[in-house]
Amino acid sequence: MQKRIIFSPVTRLSGLLSIEVFLDRNRVVDANVSSTMFRGFEWIMRNRNITDAVYLTQRVCGICSLAHGAVAGYLVDAIYDNDINENAQYLRNIMLGADFLQNHIRHFYLFSIPDFVKMPERPPFLGQNLADARLNERDNEALVRHYFDSIKASQESHQILSLFGGKAPHQHSFVHGGVSVPVTSDNVNQALALIQSIKEFIISRMIPDTQLISRTYNDYYNIGVTPGRLLSFGLFKFGLKNQNNLWPAGVLEDGDLLGPKLELISEDISHSWFVKGDDGNAYEEQIKPNPYKPGAYTWVKSVKYDGKSFQGGPLARMILLGRYRGGTSTMDRIYARSLEAFYISQLMEEWLYKLKPGPAPINQKTEPVVTEAAAITDAMKGPLLHRTQIENEQIEKYNIITPTMWNFSPKDDSGQLGPAEDALIGTVIPKPNMLFAVLGRIVRSFDPCLSCATHVIDCSGNVIGELKI
Amino acid sequence: MNKDDFVKYFQNLSLHKDNVISKEAIELVMQYYSDYKKEKLPVIWLETNDSGDNNISFMNTTYPYLDRVFTEMIDLLYSNTFMAAQGKDALDILNNTAKYYAGKFTLVVEGAIPIKDQGLYNVIAVTEQQPLTALKVVTWLGGLAKYVVAIGTCASFGGPSGARPNLTGSMGVKDVLKRQVVNVSGCPVNPDWFVGTLAHLILYGMPDLDELGRPKLFYGFTIHRHCQRRSYFDRNQFALKLGDIECMFSLGCMGPRTGADCPYRLWVNHVNWPVKANTPCIGCTNADFPDGSTPFFTPMPEKSPQE
Repeated sequence: MQKRIIFSPVTRLSGLLSIEVFLDRNRVVDANVSSTMFRGFEWIMRNRNITDAVYLTQRVCGICSLAHGAVAGYLVDAIYDNDINENAQYLRNIMLGADFLQNHIRHFYLFSIPDFVKMPERPPFLGQNLADARLNERDNEALVRHYFDSIKASQESHQILSLFGGKAPHQHSFVHGGVSVPVTSDNVNQALALIQSIKEFIISRMIPDTQLISRTYNDYYNIGVTPGRLLSFGLFKFGLKNQNNLWPAGVLEDGDLLGPKLELISEDISHSWFVKGDDGNAYEEQIKPNPYKPGAYTWVKSVKYDGKSFQGGPLARMILLGRYRGGTSTMDRIYARSLEAFYISQLMEEWLYKLKPGPAPINQKTEPVVTEAAAITDAMKGPLLHRTQIENEQIEKYNIITPTMWNFSPKDDSGQLGPAEDALIGTVIPKPNMLFAVLGRIVRSFDPCLSCATHVIDCSGNVIGELKI
Repeated sequence: MNKDDFVKYFQNLSLHKDNVISKEAIELVMQYYSDYKKEKLPVIWLETNDSGDNNISFMNTTYPYLDRVFTEMIDLLYSNTFMAAQGKDALDILNNTAKYYAGKFTLVVEGAIPIKDQGLYNVIAVTEQQPLTALKVVTWLGGLAKYVVAIGTCASFGGPSGARPNLTGSMGVKDVLKRQVVNVSGCPVNPDWFVGTLAHLILYGMPDLDELGRPKLFYGFTIHRHCQRRSYFDRNQFALKLGDIECMFSLGCMGPRTGADCPYRLWVNHVNWPVKANTPCIGCTNADFPDGSTPFFTPMPEKSPQE
């Protein structure tokens, strides 16, 4: 006899998420992960100038805004065939790195820690219902203190982004053609002071805290396990044409590593609130939102690579980079994120020292050399793709595939599960009052971002060659 | 009680015996304390159709930092972003807060409200009975709140969520509620504008609002009026490309018709703003953002917003 339970709202994440689970005694036998917000950004992009893409697509997501800005920047660079000089390459990566640190620190402390640590009984922590608090009093107290310390470390991360980018979120200087601010000793020096303070926080707090949580809740190395299919679109672009990834793109399946081919990406709307239709556009079949569609349960489409679901995020990147050996469980995902924060803080310091004083490293060409382009990078939460078709510099079509579409894919027409649903199914709930605590830990380990997820794409007909690893 | 009355009162009391002075004094001090110590603002924060950038920007507040806002200024009772409670426990808090703090709580709405198709494009939570759409919940709580604060341009005016073609029929909170709404616009909001608005509500009550419902103290003057590059504009010295140090009007700057204090205020611990980063202001606090601002890099008189 199955019991249906609605876990809604799933709090402490970006956007709105609800989960419907079916329990057979104390085991989760089915799960429907539901994104409950839709904005239609790809329609919003149409009939605007392609040079609007960096600023406008940042508005897709508040916590990972520069990931969208960056990939749109690479996209527009490809359209105008811009050359990105070395200072601009370093500055762009420093800014993107700063946004990653902001995301990872906020996710670990503000969103994830209340899953494991008994928080003080005052707002915004009332009704915590932790159910299995395991830390001793001293450690618990320390982690509560670090929760509050993390507020400054994540603010400092955005201060670095703002120093160079004008503001954060939704920075201004990382645009196509380079970066619009000069490299000066005062900015470099201020950013160095900030990154050293953040790095100190990561080394002395975030890493030991992650280790403490992972030791204390080590059963979560066996909970929320997904099939070992991992995907990354690469991270931190270098080269005149953004052609090299410092961290590799890759498709990892059963121990085999391949370079991703974008033509192998396919999508399915069987369980999404979209219907096929014809909007009179000259392009192929268009998809339209329909919140009344029977059998649908989410605004996220099912996205597959070579017909299979793939998981992205820090765990995929750390494994592909050879910096983490482990499984694909809840705790592996949490651990890899903190580890990645450390490596990024180290790189940022290195890059800051590589900057050379000089004028704003920007050169925007004005004649498009192509009318179609795609750009990919990893965002904080996984693989991110922007693709466009333009005419006279006007956007005819703009497609976005976000990390959340990979990690929070609903079932496809054959019933194949997305990674988050896969992770939930099979979970045993030890005691009835632990249901939300256990499910919350699993689902948050993916760093869900549902404001990002509100997009549609039609991949058919566009073939992009193999990407350089 | 003024100082002279206070002195006279205690001089008379001093004729009494039995420590009556301290007893009376304590009562007076307690009375003073309850009169002047400002209570924390009970807050329900709903996230609706936006990118979540406003809660991120709020986390960037300095002086006070976020922890101090939580301990000294507001009791953030419901917030999808921060609350430890989840699932039904969170919804119970929402219901109880609405009940016990009716007429007292401040409703903060982050995001536009889609009204098309019964509001189903934004569902705050799902219960056994029904989807709780943003439209339904904001309408319900908007009627019970002491103050309603719309944080960000989506909540204030529709913003990017309501940009053309606006498939979801997203609109600002004030267009859904028939009541006064304090709009704290910006994409995202500057944390000082939002925390400063909360401070005003706590210390002095409702701030003076402009014709768009925004606190005049932050939005009362245009970017252009206070811009560091105003002298370039006045001498017709315009930037030729992003990265230049001259006036950004030639590259699409919306400063002349954007109310905000960015040139003074600056962003993220007050270190920078878009024009200082050698790029144009894109008018993100405006009621017609982004449609009135795109193409972002085309000079204002030549922008041709399409319907």
